[in-house]
Amino acid sequence: MSEVEETIKRIQSHKGVIGIIVVNSEGIPIRTTLDNSTTVQYAGLIHQLTMKARSTVRDIDPQNDLTFLRLRSKKHEIMVAPDKEYLLIVIQNPSE
Amino acid sequence: MSDKMDRKAELERKKARLAQIRAEKQSKASRKEEEKKVTVSVSSSLDQKRKETEDLLRTVGIDYSTTVVPSPPSPKKVNTTARDVPAEPSPFRPRQPHAPQLGQSKITLTSIPPREVVTYAKETQTTVEENNQHASDDEEEVVKDSEKDVVVPEDLPEEEEEMEQEVREFSESEKQMIESSEGYHSFLMRSTKFIERALAHQIDLFTEYSTHGDEESEVERGMKLGINRIFSDERWSRHRMVTALDWSTHHPELCVASYANNDEAPYEPEGVVLVWNSKYKTTTPEYTFQCQSSVTTACFAKFHPNLVVGGTYSGQIVLWDNRINKRTAQRSKLSTAAHTHPVFCMDVVGTQNAHNLMSISTDGKMCSWSLDMLGQPLEAMELQHKQSKSVAVMCMSFQQNNVNNFAIGAEDGSVYSACRHGSKQGINELYEGHMGPVSGIDFHRCPGQLDFSHLLLTSSFDWTIKLWSLKDGNHSCLHSFEDRNDCVYDVSWSPTHPAMFASGDCAGKVDLWNFNIDTEVPVVSTVVDSAPAINKLAWNSTGSQIAVGDSLGRVHLCDIGEQLSSPRQDEWTQFVRSLAEIRNLHQEEEEARMVARQL
Repeated sequence: MSEVEETIKRIQSHKGVIGIIVVNSEGIPIRTTLDNSTTVQYAGLIHQLTMKARSTVRDIDPQNDLTFLRLRSKKHEIMVAPDKEYLLIVIQNPSE
Repeated sequence: MSDKMDRKAELERKKARLAQIRAEKQSKASRKEEEKKVTVSVSSSLDQKRKETEDLLRTVGIDYSTTVVPSPPSPKKVNTTARDVPAEPSPFRPRQPHAPQLGQSKITLTSIPPREVVTYAKETQTTVEENNQHASDDEEEVVKDSEKDVVVPEDLPEEEEEMEQEVREFSESEKQMIESSEGYHSFLMRSTKFIERALAHQIDLFTEYSTHGDEESEVERGMKLGINRIFSDERWSRHRMVTALDWSTHHPELCVASYANNDEAPYEPEGVVLVWNSKYKTTTPEYTFQCQSSVTTACFAKFHPNLVVGGTYSGQIVLWDNRINKRTAQRSKLSTAAHTHPVFCMDVVGTQNAHNLMSISTDGKMCSWSLDMLGQPLEAMELQHKQSKSVAVMCMSFQQNNVNNFAIGAEDGSVYSACRHGSKQGINELYEGHMGPVSGIDFHRCPGQLDFSHLLLTSSFDWTIKLWSLKDGNHSCLHSFEDRNDCVYDVSWSPTHPAMFASGDCAGKVDLWNFNIDTEVPVVSTVVDSAPAINKLAWNSTGSQIAVGDSLGRVHLCDIGEQLSSPRQDEWTQFVRSLAEIRNLHQEEEEARMVARQL
């Protein structure tokens, strides 16, 4: 289990990374490096977006599935690694 | 005068008339007032008369006032009061039109949702599909889920509130439960790897090439040997000497490095093997493997994408599988049937269907293994020269596309050619020339129009690199590169360029040699940061990069300029010419030496 901690720490220490959130399939945060309100906001919204993106991908081709979601905005880059049961969300500031 | 008198008289008359008129007016006004008064007085007189008559009648004995006079107005009054009674709640009336308005707004609210339901009906379809994929057996749940999904978006303004309600938080114990589950662990191990790659993969999507020109000229870059990046891990590779390097054949971007023990960390496992990825700019190794004994050599199992094999100081052969989420290894038994001395050289030889792992320990024992069974070696052979002297093997190299012939470099400076099978099993020929232990040995391995697989390069602690040919029965070296002023620790032929090889020395210098350009000095060389000893070299499969392992536990990835690494069409024929030149020179030298000796 410490291996997981190590990797999370490593990602967090990566240049430009603002926060990491692990969310379950219902959008409930399990682990976070951000404060509570931000986490709840990100968890809910990103989870919704990811579900929508996944259903879009699946609607286009039922054999297909979403594997990664990368969202680039003026201020941030949000990366989502989805799975059946969990979502890993990483928010970074790419310009830093 | 009379006129005046007349006029005066007239004026008098007029005045009189005016006065008369005024008087008349006044009298008229007074008469009107009087008339009014009269009417009033008349009415009053009427009343008086009425009263008088009433009195008269009363005296007679008839009461008239109560019955007749008030009767006509009384019903009117009753009516008005009757109307007033319902008029009393009139202040409530203006409110009544407002109340229906409220009702109307409610109606408009309810009229929105049906549209929303229609749009979200699509989403329910997909969730049904999703549920069917995962759990097709319980249909009830599917229905429930779909219902939920319909309900949630039904009232849009409340959606956000509902979302916040939905995101309930796990308690600490729940979190711990999830965090200790196997699925969570494997998910994180996998997804963090992706994220790390994505983070390291810094591509500026918004580059505009029209704005700035390329500064470095093409020619300059093509001739360069530059250090691209350094693989090192604070915990696992620091203070550990790199003992071996190998590139994967299945995944050309993966490079395995084995590390010796770290004297400063006695509680860490002695042996470490890290798999590095050159494709993604991640700072951490792709895989970390450990071993109880110091790993002295390691390589990918050439024909198996998941296996890494290693040789240890204890003599055991270890095998790691990256599919198993464990860092520890499968190990061979320590027995006299196998190695009992450190294994410094190892290689997988053969073909996809018939291959063996070859290993030689420093006592000269050679074993061949099947990767399916590390219980005991398939074959074991003592490498001895002239039946008595066992050879302290430092390094080994198999001929390209040959499972039988190989060469070994020994601690005493001698180089031997040897065979695995056949009548000449064991060590065949001795090649003397090096004055110190042979540190590196490599057979020519660039395929091409001409076959140079008999050419052998060796590096030694005696500061030289020597070129040998195992074909023409000449037991002395063809050429000796004596430019270096330090122990040369490794030498390696380019896999793509026939006349090129790389060498690394004790002073941190990486040299690139090209026979076709110069045989005395290297074409390019670079010194690794802080000048540690270069212990191992490994070319990648395309010949465009060399992994350089040093004594501080770092693996440097050197980029070789395109002009250097990619061979021209005529390189092979030119190489033959340069070899002939070398031979001639060598012969002349020999002759000169003979003459000198005779004198």
